[in-house]
Formats: sequence, structure tokens, C-alpha cells
Amino acid sequence: MGDIVVLVKPALNPDMLRSKPDGTVDIVGIPLKFDDIDANAIEAAKELKKNLGGKIIAVLLLPWGPTAKRSKDLRMVTQEALARGADEAIVIADDTLLPGDQVITANVIAETIKKHVPNASLILVAEASIDQTTGQIGGRIAAKLGYPYISYARSIKAEGDKIVVERDVEDRIEIMEARLPAVVSVTQEINEPRPPTLLQIRRAGKKPQHKLSASDLGITVERKKEPLEYRILTVSRKQIIIEGDTLEEIAEKLIEALEKEGVLSI
Amino acid sequence: MVSSLVVGGTLGEILESLTAASLVGEPIVLAYGQAAAKAEEIASRGVKVFRLNGEHPDLIFKAAKKLFEELKPKVIIGHSTKNNRDALSRLAGLYDLAMATDVVKIEPGDDHIIYERGFLSERAIAREKASYPAIVLINQKVFEPYSAQGQGEIVDIDVGTPDVQIVEIKKKQLSGINLEEAEIIVGVGRGFKKKEDLKLAFELAELLGAQVGASRPIAADYKWLPEDAWIGISGKRVAPKLYIAIGISGAPQHMAGVNNSKIIVAINKDKSAPIFKQADYGVVADLYQFVPVLIKKLKERKEK
Ligand SMILES: Cc1cc2nc3c(=O)[nH]c(=O)nc-3n(C[C@H](O)[C@H](O)[C@H](O)COP(=O)(O)OP(=O)(O)OC[C@H]3O[C@@H](n4cnc5c(N)ncnc54)[C@H](O)[C@@H]3O)c2cc1C
Ligand SMILES: Nc1ncnc2c1ncn2[C@@H]1O[C@H](COP(=O)(O)O)[C@@H](O)[C@H]1O
Repeated sequence: MGDIVVLVKPALNPDMLRSKPDGTVDIVGIPLKFDDIDANAIEAAKELKKNLGGKIIAVLLLPWGPTAKRSKDLRMVTQEALARGADEAIVIADDTLLPGDQVITANVIAETIKKHVPNASLILVAEASIDQTTGQIGGRIAAKLGYPYISYARSIKAEGDKIVVERDVEDRIEIMEARLPAVVSVTQEINEPRPPTLLQIRRAGKKPQHKLSASDLGITVERKKEPLEYRILTVSRKQIIIEGDTLEEIAEKLIEALEKEGVLSI
Repeated sequence: MVSSLVVGGTLGEILESLTAASLVGEPIVLAYGQAAAKAEEIASRGVKVFRLNGEHPDLIFKAAKKLFEELKPKVIIGHSTKNNRDALSRLAGLYDLAMATDVVKIEPGDDHIIYERGFLSERAIAREKASYPAIVLINQKVFEPYSAQGQGEIVDIDVGTPDVQIVEIKKKQLSGINLEEAEIIVGVGRGFKKKEDLKLAFELAELLGAQVGASRPIAADYKWLPEDAWIGISGKRVAPKLYIAIGISGAPQHMAGVNNSKIIVAINKDKSAPIFKQADYGVVADLYQFVPVLIKKLKERKEK
């Protein structure tokens, strides 16, 4: 079979929020990090590679600019993809593609796969990202490539040119069987990604990286949406730490506080 | 002229989506799964219903595609369910449509729709403007159920067979608790070391008249609780008057599900756990030591 493509999003880190004085999000000030569940996708790819063979190719599109300011973060996320188990990385960074909404991302990534990994056996994405959390990139790419799509995989097994997937739906698990090539989105439950070892990190530096721009791919994409405002949600909680000499005292103080709030009906 | 297409798998999803869709213009409905069996009730709201047998995402995709091509609606609206996300993201990809999920507000215009949704794991709100045609998947309970009366037509829609075979369906063991309606919720997280230890949380919950909910790993990964106890951005969104989080770190994806609680209490042994910044009352303690004491004190109070 062919190569396994894993999409890796350099995502804005929600734990490093930055706001402007007017309460809107300072996107340029927020660093990028390796998107959480993409780590599960790479881990799944490593398992599947044992059966499917081929290489694991990570594809990253920089979604937040400006490119000049993001190069260090992008390099770190790429290194992490390679350290976690990708054999090669294709990195697309281009100011004309920013900010990368889902129409742009799906077109650019589908085109990248067609041109650079035409033999892909399997394309793995995460169920959703930590910044935009739209979970629609997998379905879009499957439709563009004309491949079957299976979402929310809790397990994937490869048998020959077939995969068997446990798909999570709210009240049931559907066991699905598809022929390759296919696109699959993975859940956080699919595995427990291991952090890369020192050796893996060192080896990552020697693995091939291919850099692409929009003109290399020869595509222009029309935007279908525009951002109007990104506003920080302020949590106005009391943040009172209840202290005391003994746990008994703390428990009593807590019960008293909750009674005062009128939220205990005991 | 039809201007919106509602897609849904249950009666409740469809009625709420119809209210949103009617803000855009005349709606029609694609009803699949359980909703297909409720086609008459939906049609009695005065809307035309296309009834799809089954709920395979391949078929929902094909049916939505057919109706989209024939009727050219300005928007497609439904709930942010897994089947809707799956099927409609493919339609979005095929025609390069804007698609928004987990939407909490819409303002339809003549040639565009403005919507609001969470951003940065719901620590921020994004307000965006999409040109028609667009796909808008809303959150539960943002809109009231549609109550118009009338007599709509019901048409069966046949789109052939799926590309991917479902070879088996395993029903999840759900508890049937309705966390959305609970007044008090005790939330359990990975601070608990094993399943049996959850009895501490259940004992506390019983004293308080509370329900027990959980972070995602406890319910979905370890399966220590049924999956309908899963609270958060990808689980249930709850709004109790009191939420007591025990051994939960306070990841934004969890807190997104509890931020509408009136009072949040956090019990965590790590004083730098992010949850303390998002709680009203915090107790820095080992849950194994503190929760039994809390239970004892509550019992004493009850006996008085
Ligand atoms: C796209 C996406 C969607 C997600 N959706 C959800 C969702 O819907 N819901 C959800 O919950 N998560 C969700 N997550 C996962 C989320 O990011 C966190 O990983 C998860 O919420 C962590 O669960 P936890 O707090 O139970 O565990 P941990 O983060 O491991 O926290 C355990 C806490 O317990 C404390 N602790 C340990 N021992 C003790 C003790 N003896 N006494 C007291 N405290 C102790 C620790 O200090 C720690 O703070 C999602 C993630 C992603 C990327
Ligand atoms: N810019 C990107 N580069 C690579 N992969 C992406 C990108 N955007 C989204 N993806 C993939 O699609 C998943 C869902 O993203 P999202 O639609 O943002 O929730 C991510 O977890 C990635 O696997």
C-alpha cells in the first residue's frame, strides 16, 4: 500500500491567551502549539504502518500569520510531528493563505495530497482542533478526493486493503468497514500517545522536510467567510480558596459558604 | 421559494433547528433516523419533510447533496451532532461552502449570515460572517422548538446504498440521567485513582441530592461511568446551581461545559491547577482525605 498522511495543525494555544486592551483576542500574540489530538493520529499511524507499510507523511498548513513571526513555532510543531513518528513532513506557509479558514485549508491540503502523496493509502485527521474546533477538515478532504470518510474513530484496524473502524456516535458504536484509500478522523480515546524520547527528538532533525507555498501548488482559493470579532470570554468567578487548620474546619467553612450562596438544599 | 434546509436525526433537533431556519426564510426538512419516524409530527408544523430511512452518514450526505442541488437553499441548519458534522462537512467540501459548528447565535442577512461560536476551546467567542450558501450547525437549547401549525407534505427520499458498510452496531450502556436538568452536579476527574473510589463521589452526591458527571477521560476512555455523564465541549453542557469538581484539572474543553453553573467548587490537591482560577470556592486538598470529611460534616448538619 501507499503512504499514510497525518494532518498536523499548528494551532493557537488556548492556554496562552493574549488580549488587546479592548477585550478582543490578540491573535498575533498567542503562540502556536502542536494540536492535541493530532498526536493521537500520529500514534495511530505508527500502529497502522506495521500492517500497511509505506511512510508516515505529516502535512502542516500554517493557519495563523504573519508567516515571518510564526517560523519558530512552525519549526517546533514540525519537529514534534517528526519526533512523534512521522517519517517526513510537508509544510505549507504562505501569507496569501492567511488566516487559514476551513475552505482554504481543505483545498490546499487536498491539492498537496494529490500532487505530493498521490499514492496515499490513508489520511488521518483529528476529530477537532484546540483553537477552531470545527472538526470538518476530514470530511471536506474526503469529498474533494472522492475517498470514503469515517469520522470519530475509537479504533482502526487494517486488513489488506481494508480498514475496520469503531466509530463513536453519541449513543452507539458503529463498526465500519471501508476500502483504502480512505480518510479517517480519530478521537482522543483511540490511544495514549507517548511523548517523544530524547533519541526520537534528535533523529527528527535529520528527517526530510518539504516546504511549499500557494504558488508551488498552483491554487487560489476564494474566501467564503470573514472574521468580524474575536472576543475573550471573561470568567468572573470568586476564586476564593478556603483555608483552615484542619480539613474539618475547611469543610465547615465550605458548607457555610454554599449555604450563604443558597445552593445547598440540605 | 425554499431558503433553508433543516437536517436532523431527532424530533427535538429538528424543531429547534426550524426556529433558527425560519429566521432565514421558508424551511424544508431532511429527517433521518429517529426523526424519520416522527415525519408526521414535523409536517404538522407546516413544513415539507423529506424522509430518509436510516442514519448512515454516507446516506445523510447523499440526501443533503441531492436536496441542496435541487432546491438551492441559502443555508443548511441542524444541530452539531456527530452525524451532521460528518455528513455536512462533506457537502461543504464538495461545494466549498462555509460551515460553522457549535453556533450559539445567528443574524441572517440578505446575502450573508453572521454567527457566533466558541473559539480557542471556548475561552473566546468568534463572530464571523459567511456568504450564502452556508452550513450552520447550532448548539442545543439555543433556540425554542418551532411551534407553527400547518399541513406539510412528506416525501420519501432514496439515495441508494452507502459506500462504507456498517457491519455491526453496539449500543452504549447509558445511565439515562438528565444532567442538563440537574440542580447540583458532582463532577469527577482523573484525580480518582480507580473506579471503585467513585463511591466517594456518589455518597456525596446522594447527600446533596446531586447527579454525578465526569470529565471526558473518566467516561469515554476509562469507561468508569456511562458516556452520558461526559461533560464538556464534546459532551454535555450543563447549568446547575452548584457544580463540585473533584480531581478535575480545569481544561478549557471541560470548563466549556460547566461555565453556565451558578457556583463552581473545585477540590484538587494541586494548588496551581487551572480550575482554581475558574471556580468560586477552592479547596486545596487530597480528595481521598477531604471528601470523607465533607461527607461527615454534611451528615452531621443533616441530622441537626
Ligand atoms: C478537541 C477536544 C475536546 C475535548 N472535549 C472534552 C470534553 O468534552 N470534556 C472533558 O472533560 N475533556 C475534554 N477534552 C480533554 C481535556 O483537554 C482534558 O484532557 C480533560 O478534561 C482532563 O480531564 P481531568 O481533569 O479529569 O484529568 P487531568 O487533567 O489529568 O486532571 C486531574 C486532576 O486531578 C488532580 N488530582 C490528582 N490526584 C488527586 C487527589 N488525590 N486529590 C485531588 N486532586 C487530585 C490533579 O492535580 C489534576 O489537576 C477534550 C480535548 C480536546 C483536545
Ligand atoms: N492548518 C492545518 N494544517 C494541518 N492540519 C489541519 C489544519 N487545520 C485542521 N487540520 C486537521 O483537521 C483537524 C480538525 O481541525 P478543525 O477543523 O480546526 O477542528 C485538526 O485536528 C487537524 O488534524
